Amino acid sequence: MLKSFSPNITVEIICLIFAIIFLSKDNQTTWKSMILFLLVICITEIAGILTKRTVNGNNWVYNIYLMPEVGFTSIMFGHLLSKYTKGKVLVLPGLALFFVLYLYEIYCHGIYSFHVLTTTVMSIIFISYGLYYYYLLIKDEHYINLKSYAPFWWVSGTLFFYFGSTVSNLFFTIFNTEHSILFSFRHLIYILINIILYSFWSYSFLCRYRQRKSIL
Amino acid sequence: MQISPKEINTLIVLITLVFLLAPGFLLLYINLYNRRKKKHIEEKALMQQTFAAEILKTQLEVQEQTMQTIGADLHDNIGQLLSLTSLTLNSIEISEVNKARQKIDTALDLNSRCIKELRLLGKLLQGEQLIKNGLTEAISNEITWIEKAGQYQVDYQTENFSTESNVDKDLLVFRILQEVLNNIVKHAFATQINIKLCCRDKQLQLIVEDNGVGFLTDEVPQKQHGMGLHNIRKRAELMGGEVGIRSEPGTGTLVELNIPYP
Repeated sequence: MLKSFSPNITVEIICLIFAIIFLSKDNQTTWKSMILFLLVICITEIAGILTKRTVNGNNWVYNIYLMPEVGFTSIMFGHLLSKYTKGKVLVLPGLALFFVLYLYEIYCHGIYSFHVLTTTVMSIIFISYGLYYYYLLIKDEHYINLKSYAPFWWVSGTLFFYFGSTVSNLFFTIFNTEHSILFSFRHLIYILINIILYSFWSYSFLCRYRQRKSIL
Repeated sequence: MQISPKEINTLIVLITLVFLLAPGFLLLYINLYNRRKKKHIEEKALMQQTFAAEILKTQLEVQEQTMQTIGADLHDNIGQLLSLTSLTLNSIEISEVNKARQKIDTALDLNSRCIKELRLLGKLLQGEQLIKNGLTEAISNEITWIEKAGQYQVDYQTENFSTESNVDKDLLVFRILQEVLNNIVKHAFATQINIKLCCRDKQLQLIVEDNGVGFLTDEVPQKQHGMGLHNIRKRAELMGGEVGIRSEPGTGTLVELNIPYP
């Protein structure tokens, strides 16, 4: 059981270590909160493994995890977009939509069934935020050295993750019910996009650290 | 039609790849765009540097031209007038009252001409500063100096010239005009010069026309004085404008400058 999950938890723990090393002394709370978010991710992943074989499965764990995931990601996008526009105001409708969908799915099929609709809609919303960020970055007249620009790598990682996971979310029903053989295949996709996501994020934390050090 | 798990597998792999390729290409595009942005910023900075250097060079050229004119005028006119005054006063013999009175009158006349020349010189020196107050003023002053020689009939017209100005561009336009007038004085053998300065639709147009000997425009770069025209073109381009030169032997020359203004 642990074997199929090991790559995911490994990259997540590595990313958490990177976050602790590079962000623990960061002067911005939003960036610093990534440590807490990654800790939540690791706990969720472990909880997911432990509850996988229980009667109710582990979907409820990931359903609960949706709340910190959407919360932290929205806050981060709000923070990054606020450099160009009213980012914090921009993410509020997305958060409102999330709560509506979340409650709707709990009402319709309870907590033990994975919230596909909420996850898919939120993926699309985060893709929109990422693309809008790219648009604002292009529109910005000032040159930024992207190679060492932490927000760019954070957004890129997030964009890769949600682009990739959207396919999985859309096909989730097929994976879960009809063809159990494909269930592990879904995890392969997740392993791939998780590796991309956490590599990009780890690199963005390093960039953030370098930026802080160069200022000091 | 029943889809097999294998087919679904392939389908999902393909769709996932497409979905991962999209942000990948976006990342590459943004990186490429950012590099172009950097290049553009560098080019812009270089252009601004070139413009600033050209402005400085032009200022020096205008100063040099003024100094040359002053030097020539001091030597050719004021110096001569003062020498004549001195000679006239030296030749006065007190015993011959009538002749002495005549010579004193001549000396006084020479002296007043000298004062007049000095006043014009003063205005010329001020003219350099006049560019800061307005292009039309500076051009008027330049024309006064050209007309002083008595060889040229100058017709100067301004049309819709706005109060909104650009000091840097004014300086470059003024220098272009000086260069064109220098060419006329040196090579054209003209008697009539028409200058028209107008501003409409955020475009400044300067037309300088003469009735001189003219030249074959294609041959100019091979000749020595082609350097002046090269400078005129370069400065016009620097201001985002262009220069048109129409000339044929025996028909005079027309130089037309068009630049965005202010």
